[in-house]
Amino acid sequence: MKILVCIKPVPESEAPVRIAPDGKSIQTDPLSPLRMNRYDEQALEEALLIRDTFPDTRIEAISVGPKRSETVLKRALGMGADHGIHICTDIENDPVPAVVAAWVAAAARSRNYDLILSGMMSEDGLHGQVGPLVAEHLSLPCVTAVVGIRITPGKATASVQRVPAEGLRDLLALSLPAVLTIQSGAQKPRYPSLSNILRAKGQDLEIIAAASLSRPESFQQAVRFKYPQKTRFGRFLEGSPQQKAQELLSKLKEKSFLA
Amino acid sequence: MTRPIVVIAEHLEGKIRPATYELIAFALELRQAMPAPIKVLILGNDPEDMAHLIAAKTGLDVMAVQESNRPRYNGDLYKNILAPLLSELNPDYVCIAQTPMGMDFAPGLAHRLGAVCITGVESVYEDRGRILFTRAFYNGKILADICVQAKTAVLTVAPGFFKPSSADPAAPGRVEIRKTPGGEARIRTVETRKAPAQESEIAQAPVIVSAGRGVGKKENLALIFTLAALFPLSAVAGSRWICVAGWLEHRRQVGLTGAVVSPKLYIACGISGSVQHLAGMRDSGFIVAVNSDPHAAIFNIADICIVEDLNIFIPALIEAHRQKT
Ligand SMILES: Cc1cc2nc3c(=O)[nH]c(=O)nc-3n(C[C@H](O)[C@H](O)[C@H](O)COP(=O)(O)OP(=O)(O)OC[C@H]3O[C@@H](n4cnc5c(N)ncnc54)[C@H](O)[C@@H]3O)c2cc1C
Repeated sequence: MKILVCIKPVPESEAPVRIAPDGKSIQTDPLSPLRMNRYDEQALEEALLIRDTFPDTRIEAISVGPKRSETVLKRALGMGADHGIHICTDIENDPVPAVVAAWVAAAARSRNYDLILSGMMSEDGLHGQVGPLVAEHLSLPCVTAVVGIRITPGKATASVQRVPAEGLRDLLALSLPAVLTIQSGAQKPRYPSLSNILRAKGQDLEIIAAASLSRPESFQQAVRFKYPQKTRFGRFLEGSPQQKAQELLSKLKEKSFLA
Repeated sequence: MTRPIVVIAEHLEGKIRPATYELIAFALELRQAMPAPIKVLILGNDPEDMAHLIAAKTGLDVMAVQESNRPRYNGDLYKNILAPLLSELNPDYVCIAQTPMGMDFAPGLAHRLGAVCITGVESVYEDRGRILFTRAFYNGKILADICVQAKTAVLTVAPGFFKPSSADPAAPGRVEIRKTPGGEARIRTVETRKAPAQESEIAQAPVIVSAGRGVGKKENLALIFTLAALFPLSAVAGSRWICVAGWLEHRRQVGLTGAVVSPKLYIACGISGSVQHLAGMRDSGFIVAVNSDPHAAIFNIADICIVEDLNIFIPALIEAHRQKT
């Protein structure tokens, strides 16, 4: 079985994100490292779990992003992916999901994947669209926000779990090939292993220049960015953790939450 | 003919979901910026009664599309049925709830309509003749105003931003019933499991200590429980991340797809403050947030903000309390 996992490079969660002075773009620090979007990391872990059960599985990881996104694909190889495909863009700013999906689909089209996995959304853009759009481009069925996958031996079908609403869990059956977006698994994504890291070091990524792919219209424009309004003007406590703890304690006592 | 604004109603087990009325509130606000008829579409096994209810409550016209033999939501079928129907209705805007169901079919539907899809819309306004939709990036740290340039836009509307109005309409809207054979879906529901209806202690608790992914690992939840134990009548809750990972039972999840709570005190530990989480706890009396990221969105709604690693801060807090008593 052949699996493609879509992996988005996102800024480290604590790296500052700011609005550019002209208000027209988000500035992330081009020097701060990129890491794997956590939902995609879950997707990769699901793929690795499938391969643990069906060892003849091949896992390929694909990523759209600037040159420095390579580190994220290398990490995917370190975790155990067999091959990395980098659709290399020349800009730092994200293309919209419709563009990313068109590019991923273009790369995936002739490679006959049985399963395409992605995270349910990215932690920066929060669009939740790439997986479902790749599915449409390739005319595949798609289930989003999956929390568990079981591949049936013989591998032509999968049964997946999702949470359609609070307190409910649907068990769905679908035929492969298909696209699944992963919300989270109960398993913690594995760390890269030393042997995989060494293998990844010597392995070339497949590079596709984004400029060589056709780019669909995006039909949308972010005309301005702004910071959210504070609804409460909370006070930031100062000092050492101990000093902050003392101050919080007094506050909680003053409000009678603690005796 | 003026092109309509279409609202896709969301329902579950014969009941209209509250998100539907928020969507309608959004559509009414959109209509102020762009006059157009609003049509509500409800698709399902037996949608007629629900269609009449929506028409009576809102005064809007409702189209009920009946697809027999499929009691549960099916994303494949939704797209198959809605795409041709919407092509016929030719709307400017299609409004869908930003829920696990809405997020499942909205992007694919947009693709089939040749429409643009904007997810997580939090507000809409007119600016110099353009209609702008606001959505969040980076778990709510930054907002963007988006202008759409496609003929049709499929929008998913974030929860909790549009309050359904309670005004009684002068007259109920018209209800039109359509039947569709539906056809084959490539996805089949095998089974639906319901979590046993347990009374969740978080609904009543005056103090909630809530854990997010920032706790790092399941074992660290012990800290959260120890902190909660300092307060009489407290409960431990968590973000969806924690509950889906199985670290806490589902009934302890706060947010859009969990419980809506308003305790006197809410202590958010390692929670980023995504809109879906805020939807469940925004109205808490006093909010304390502990997060190692000084820019976390949770700080925008907190009364006391503590920028610390919770694994250092919470033990310090527990120790400080022990010394005082
Ligand atoms: C349709 C839909 C419905 C949803 N429903 C819900 C819902 O009901 N409830 C819900 O909660 N979410 C819901 N979500 C998910 C939501 O969008 C977020 O993904 C989720 O709330 C994030 O959980 P989190 O804050 O725990 O994790 P993250 O967003 O990953 O945040 C973790 C935070 O912890 C901080 N942190 C990390 N390490 C430490 C440390 N050592 N000390 C202190 N802080 C630390 C980080 O700075 C970060 O701010 C839904 C999403 C969708 C699309």
